[in-house]
Amino acid sequence: MISDRIKSNLTNELRRSLLAKVGIVLFVSILLMGLFAPVLATHNPHEQGHSDEAGASYPPLGLTDEITIAQDGERVSHTVEGTSEHVLGTNNVGQDIYSRFLYGARTSLLVGLSGTLLATAIGVPVGLTAGYFGGRVDDGLMRIADIMLAFPSLVLALALMGAFGRGTVGIPDPIVAAGFADGMPETITFPGMVTVVVALVTWVWFARVARGEAMAIRNEEYVKAARSLGASHATILRKHVLPNSLTPIIVLATIQVAAIILLESSLSYLGFSGTTLSWGYEIQRGHDVMRNQWWVATVPGIGIVLSVIGVNLLGDWLRDALDPNIEGEGAGGAG
Amino acid sequence: MAFGKFLIRRLLQGVFVIWGVVTITFALRALSPGDPVNLIAGQVPDQSTRDQIRQDLGLDQPMYVQYFDYLGNLLTGNLGYSYNQRRAVNDIIAQHFAATVELAVAATIVAVVIAIPLGVVSATRRDQPADYAATFGSLVGISTPNFWLGIMLILIVAMQVGVFPTSGRGIAFHEAMYNLFRYGYVLDLLSWLSYITLPAITLGTYFTALITRLTRSGMIDELGKPYVTATEAKGLPRTLVRYKHVLRNTLIPIITVLGLQLGTLMGGAVITEEVFNWPGLGQMFITSLRNGDWPVVQGIVLFIAVAFVVINILVDALYARLNPQVTDE
Repeated sequence: MISDRIKSNLTNELRRSLLAKVGIVLFVSILLMGLFAPVLATHNPHEQGHSDEAGASYPPLGLTDEITIAQDGERVSHTVEGTSEHVLGTNNVGQDIYSRFLYGARTSLLVGLSGTLLATAIGVPVGLTAGYFGGRVDDGLMRIADIMLAFPSLVLALALMGAFGRGTVGIPDPIVAAGFADGMPETITFPGMVTVVVALVTWVWFARVARGEAMAIRNEEYVKAARSLGASHATILRKHVLPNSLTPIIVLATIQVAAIILLESSLSYLGFSGTTLSWGYEIQRGHDVMRNQWWVATVPGIGIVLSVIGVNLLGDWLRDALDPNIEGEGAGGAG
Repeated sequence: MAFGKFLIRRLLQGVFVIWGVVTITFALRALSPGDPVNLIAGQVPDQSTRDQIRQDLGLDQPMYVQYFDYLGNLLTGNLGYSYNQRRAVNDIIAQHFAATVELAVAATIVAVVIAIPLGVVSATRRDQPADYAATFGSLVGISTPNFWLGIMLILIVAMQVGVFPTSGRGIAFHEAMYNLFRYGYVLDLLSWLSYITLPAITLGTYFTALITRLTRSGMIDELGKPYVTATEAKGLPRTLVRYKHVLRNTLIPIITVLGLQLGTLMGGAVITEEVFNWPGLGQMFITSLRNGDWPVVQGIVLFIAVAFVVINILVDALYARLNPQVTDE
């Protein structure tokens, strides 16, 4: 499926484009952070009480924070200094922000990648079938797509979360189970319902792109030839239509990972997530205390921006190298 | 009468889309857990009171009866009653929609005013520093979650500079305008401006980035067309060609994209309103959803969908007027 021509296009574009390199570096860094969060973390992300003797949160290393505390019935000024124990500081309940940042990367990537996979798995078969057969099936799909478009994706996602609840799945953390990271959470809380919901909100983009491809491919000579040689529709869809429409689907999927990371963070910012180890949730908490501890909301936001930039740059690279002729359709950011 | 036919077809499609939206949100309410009676009466143990409420709301009826009742009410313009605000959903929407429209329009103005010049500069000075800056800026713009951007603006601008309030709406635009023209108060308008500036930037940033990208790529395509070379060869001034012909041809498809992105704008408004405590439909939507107040949730979703459909029909009609080929399709 990956021909030599595609490979050489990808490497040529990569050699030419600085931004593509930046995108790969960003994405791979975030991926590694998420994968090895238990090893890289310095504290259990749920563990509270990391505050100084006066109960104040630590600012990031190298910064100081001036606060007023009550001491013996009087209000006195108190200075907190960042410590190397908590490089990015601690939040208002005394949790280590650096460790929570790593675990947040995990949640974003888990939802971003699995949500995109699920949306692809729903949208591509529907779109290919509709485009290949045309007629009523196709009309039906396009009308459904019209309805989906009239919902703002965030609004639909929120309504779905409101109706379905915030179900999560606990997965044992293999790194902790293997004994490489003592004291870290033993299970990964996978926000399953959020993943299903973001897929339900975004599948229609995959269906539209797959449909367009299938419509073009069904009139190709090789499809007609296969048909006259007695190949069934199912075989043609699987062996000819699908492989030949993969390029735009892959490019779209990359862009959608970015859109879904933004959507997930918006949902968890608004409190519709299911896990507390999420950048969006952390920003919500930081919003409540921003007057005193600005860093709590600032740090996770940087994580979101960097990973979304990374994924978007990857998408640009693939698009420029493979030229599938879609103009970032469906890139609608939710956040 | 190709145009009339085209318009009728689009209207029918729009009615179908709205029916779909109504049906999906109704189904979500039906699937959602929680008993609305608890919301209305609290945890009243008195069974006969509970039954009475259930009966009054029609919740004792089978689902399909409730569905057709709901559709019937919608046809008469009645969106139902809130479970816990003791008010009609129509009133709630009427009270909050102006704030959201103000915010959405202000954000669109911010986006268009910044993005189009930026896109033009970017396209006409391709691969120069200004182009790189605009391209990089728009990459960051589409990658930044707007709720975080809003919080950063509050932290950096509102709390440090002190000119902009950190949250709330202050005075409504129409009141400020009334006071301006009736009594000559300028301060009210300035106050309105100070409240809306940061939310409008928050909501407008994504669109600024998007329109900059679209203008840039559209303009680059357009600049490569033979007619540009022809007009320049004829000796027409470059600026005239660029702004009168090239930009105009670039903007028409952008308007279509903006119509389709209206949903994203409304989604963004939901979260921007939550960040800035802006009393619009978005904030009401979130509050109602958290409370399980489904009639309000359904009403707001329907309202947004109708706005989306109507605006897109208008955009398409405008487009069809400008480009007759569309209706021949």
